[in-house]
Amino acid sequence: MEYKEIIEIFKGAAANPGGQAGQWKKEHEGKIFGFLLTDVPEELVHAAGFLPYAVNAEEGMLDFADAHLQTWACSFSRNSLAAAVQGKLSFLDGLIIPQTCDTTRMLMGIWKHVRPLSFMENYRLPRQVDRPSAGDYLHGELKRLKERLEDFRGREIKEDELTESISLYNRNRRLLRRLYMVQVKTPQLLSSKDLFTIIKASMVMPREKVNFLLEQLLAACEAVTGSDHKVERRRLLISGTLLEPLELLDFINEKGGLIVADDLQNGSRYLEADAAENGDPLEALVQRQLKRMPSALYEPQKQRRAKYLVNLAREKGAQGVLFLHLKFCEPENYDYYDNMQAMEKAGIPAMRVETAFGGIPPGQLQTRVHAFMEMLGGEDVD
Amino acid sequence: MKELMADYYTRGAEAKEKGIPVAWVTAVFPVEIIYAAGLFPFYPENFGAVASARKLADKLSSAAEAKGYAHDLCAYSRCGLGDAHSREHPVGEIVKPDLLLCCNTQCGSLSKWFEVAGRFYEAPYFLLDAPQIGIEPDELSKQYYTAQLQELIAFLESFNGKKFDYDRLREVMAYANEACRLWNEILETAALKPAPFGFFDACFHMAPIVTWRGTPQAVNYYRNLQQELENRIKNKVFAIENERFKLYFDHIPLWPKLRWFSDICASHHALVAVSQYTHSWAYSFDLERPLESLAENYTEAFVNRVFDYRIQRKIKLMQRYDVDGFMLFSNRSCKPNAFGLYDKKNIISKITGLPGVVFEADMSDLRFFSEAHVLARLEPFFEQLESA
Ligand code: SF4
Ligand code: SF4
Repeated sequence: MEYKEIIEIFKGAAANPGGQAGQWKKEHEGKIFGFLLTDVPEELVHAAGFLPYAVNAEEGMLDFADAHLQTWACSFSRNSLAAAVQGKLSFLDGLIIPQTCDTTRMLMGIWKHVRPLSFMENYRLPRQVDRPSAGDYLHGELKRLKERLEDFRGREIKEDELTESISLYNRNRRLLRRLYMVQVKTPQLLSSKDLFTIIKASMVMPREKVNFLLEQLLAACEAVTGSDHKVERRRLLISGTLLEPLELLDFINEKGGLIVADDLQNGSRYLEADAAENGDPLEALVQRQLKRMPSALYEPQKQRRAKYLVNLAREKGAQGVLFLHLKFCEPENYDYYDNMQAMEKAGIPAMRVETAFGGIPPGQLQTRVHAFMEMLGGEDVD
Repeated sequence: MKELMADYYTRGAEAKEKGIPVAWVTAVFPVEIIYAAGLFPFYPENFGAVASARKLADKLSSAAEAKGYAHDLCAYSRCGLGDAHSREHPVGEIVKPDLLLCCNTQCGSLSKWFEVAGRFYEAPYFLLDAPQIGIEPDELSKQYYTAQLQELIAFLESFNGKKFDYDRLREVMAYANEACRLWNEILETAALKPAPFGFFDACFHMAPIVTWRGTPQAVNYYRNLQQELENRIKNKVFAIENERFKLYFDHIPLWPKLRWFSDICASHHALVAVSQYTHSWAYSFDLERPLESLAENYTEAFVNRVFDYRIQRKIKLMQRYDVDGFMLFSNRSCKPNAFGLYDKKNIISKITGLPGVVFEADMSDLRFFSEAHVLARLEPFFEQLESA
């Protein structure tokens, strides 16, 4: 297959995630388990024999959430709930919501009443990650989740089944990280939006198929070396909870910008940190979770996020930092001041843009992003 | 009461002068441990409530907004952060922390606010993390919380440079038991028909149970209040004139409009008798196993429970106080208590047959308050109540 064809397959899945999931379900007579971002151990769901499905690609009509969730809840939660209310997620058999903020702590109760499913579980992550109690507790919580999945499927999840799933997902993350580098090194082959679209599609497709496609895609792309060098690209770091809409990346690319690093839940946070493939697999999942990059959702005692971001920007040679403010996302908003101050001190130009799932006029975003790119000396690419 | 709170702030300043460390603490934190460790607990939420009642929340907030904090964050935190970032202190300057202790049962706003404040004031921060629990309490969460209490005590021992005194803890917990018992007896008087005491009175008198439980002052305060209520009952002094209805209210009051709101209810002869909010402080500790007992009491509070448990809890309170209807305040500041209310209203009405209403506003910030909107929601509700 031509690499462009492969990209099209991913784009198709991202544009119609439910369609491809429904088709998988019919073909495999399997069960699909939705999960919300971030940090849900898909490996466990996969080991139980179900298809993990990230609820974040649907375009819900936000109004459908109005009767259940205030308009001042973040558009990610509203969009997800709206999609469920609209019946766009009717193929789901189960749902796992990670409790990482006040909104996700409240969402399951509402969802249960609005669209009950046969399996609905909260995943109660520890919100402090540095004290010994966090690991012990998380091990127990993962065990609880595993047992619930076992009850549902009527059979134990064996250690080697879980280890196999871990290794499948590790491989997937490694491949996606390589693809990230393709975008950095040869942006003429893969736009930033294409990269993030592929990540998005990976989250809803069977991982075996994703890995197969990624290997071919990488083989084609990595054979090409050297960037087009028509223009000098401006290297950017993007920071925030979720990146949406992905068109924002086009606005960056248009002005000669390139994404060299990020800490997004639908970006690098999803790709980083593999789990060990030997020893107790639950403990491997615990360790991975506790070692993840800092985010607004966990209390950082040892690794302050602002400092981490400055180091990341330096290490990746970022010339600017774009902060995303997903409207009404409280945890992220609390971090902004510290992050921004740190960039100022480090002499790294930074700007914040307000984003949302639906509802922000693209023209407005484009103007803001272009202005920032011009400030960084970015030039038009055509 | 005002004097007592003024006294409290003075004592905060005095504590600073005397070199007693000030610990910032959250409303649903096991403050018993802080008293036992000899620290002065300061409640920034209370600072937010005072600022709000004085209609200064938007002013303080603007200083926080200028630094990039959005106006959709919890207003208490915007008051606190606004005070930190401005030179003017219209409510008096917030007492600066020597350390910050937060428990996240209530919400995640507090834990982020304290994290940010810890960096701002360069003081150590400890998060007591509480996973949400379901209809039934679970061992796992309890063990986790208990283990963290041990970590907290170790943290305080190293901060204080001395061993933690468990006997003192038991003593403090005994005072807390007594204050909670009195407080709940006082709340119960709102069930009398007519009642000498209602929710708005409870809001006025709740600062000691929130901030001083664990001290003899809180016990004395509520002994006196109880005495006063007995006198009121004897002399037939009631909370409102001609009480006809009793209502349930969720959750925090509209501080800057408290009087306005209570007058509306009173004009309909409706007594707001009960709220999960004022009933939050109903602890009963087992002194034989102090840490476990703290863990049970604090994690099993409704603020740390799932949607369905909260519905049950509200219905139980409605039944116990034999209310005629309920009002749910969709408080823009408080996502954890507001999200889910739309469905809860329908479910509760279906189960109990009681009329209910949801209205939108903010507990602090008048920019998100519209008299017309609130009235447009409340009037049909009162009509329904009166025609029932
Ligand atoms: S986007 Fe922010 S507010 Fe929304 S669910 Fe995620 S962390 Fe919570
Ligand atoms: S009002 Fe709500 S969000 Fe604000 S501090 Fe209190 S519990 Fe937290």
